[in-house]
Amino acid sequence: MSRHLSSREVSQWMIGECTPQQEQHVRQCPECGAELARMEAAVALFRGSVRHWSDGQKGAEPPAIGSILAARLGSRIQPMRWALVAAALLVLAAVPIYRNVQVRQRQAEIARADALLLEQVDAEVSRAVPRPMEPLAKLVSWDFSATDGRDENRRDTTKNEEIR
Amino acid sequence: MIAAVEPSVSEIDDLDALVRLHWLRVFRFALASLRDPDAAGSVAQDCFLRAYRSRERFRGECSTEAWLMRIAVNLIRDYARNRRLQFWKRAQASAVDLAAVGQWVPDGGASPESGAMAREQLAAVWNAAGGLPERQRTVFLLRFVEDMDLLEIAAATGMKEGTVKTHLFRALQAVRERMGRSQ
Repeated sequence: MSRHLSSREVSQWMIGECTPQQEQHVRQCPECGAELARMEAAVALFRGSVRHWSDGQKGAEPPAIGSILAARLGSRIQPMRWALVAAALLVLAAVPIYRNVQVRQRQAEIARADALLLEQVDAEVSRAVPRPMEPLAKLVSWDFSATDGRDENRRDTTKNEEIR
Repeated sequence: MIAAVEPSVSEIDDLDALVRLHWLRVFRFALASLRDPDAAGSVAQDCFLRAYRSRERFRGECSTEAWLMRIAVNLIRDYARNRRLQFWKRAQASAVDLAAVGQWVPDGGASPESGAMAREQLAAVWNAAGGLPERQRTVFLLRFVEDMDLLEIAAATGMKEGTVKTHLFRALQAVRERMGRSQ
């Protein structure tokens, strides 16, 4: 084989596919040997670079298996945990609201009772005569306007009787 | 290359031992594929848990490593598909400083010129690998970062050996093209 390796043949060489003729040519041809060396060096550099980069990562160290399981289980439990937290918060938020409603109801009842009492007091205060004295008051008429005419009539009758 | 050791039942049953032995490799493969350390850690954890849960289905047709890598390949594929948008958004926000990563070159007493050239080629490979279609990238990383042979890659990806070769060839062509452009 007298011609140089083509680009395809270099790639095939890198995969490990080469003919005896190609092998012989590379041994004798510095140019093809250099091209293959350049390719192999680039790939080796890439391997070293990836390994160097990977080794420098904090995740490169094998973790304790406990932490793996905890992380995985944690990720499964997490939604349930959040649901429980949400439910607990809901209960905690509902208790003051419920209490508040109860307090308001109690306050409303007290206010109604107060209003009723005040109405009763007003009614009592507005009486001319206290309730226990009402039967007595019925016996005695305090209505002068109503009695004046009758008294004058009585006086007139008395005068007429005297003249007679 | 991964030693084709018959997996023992105790190795698979012992999750702690499984993680200790294979974590770095699975994490590194996930990191190189997703280029996001958090996502890589998450994928690696899922990989081991899934392996542990399905350990009874593992018949030992391949090495433990290839079996784990197969699970990782599927998880990475699912992850990339489900979160493609977020992934690219994060990538744009430079979760990984590709420029810095691509500049890493061991100091072997090389001249400044050859050092600069090596950095340029390394950056080209990083960029080319990042732009590869999913399957090409997977086989490229498994072959050239994880040192797996074609049969192991076939076992890890569920592809036929010929298909692995095809994807690897295309990936190498893309990398070579990128390297040629960077010169």
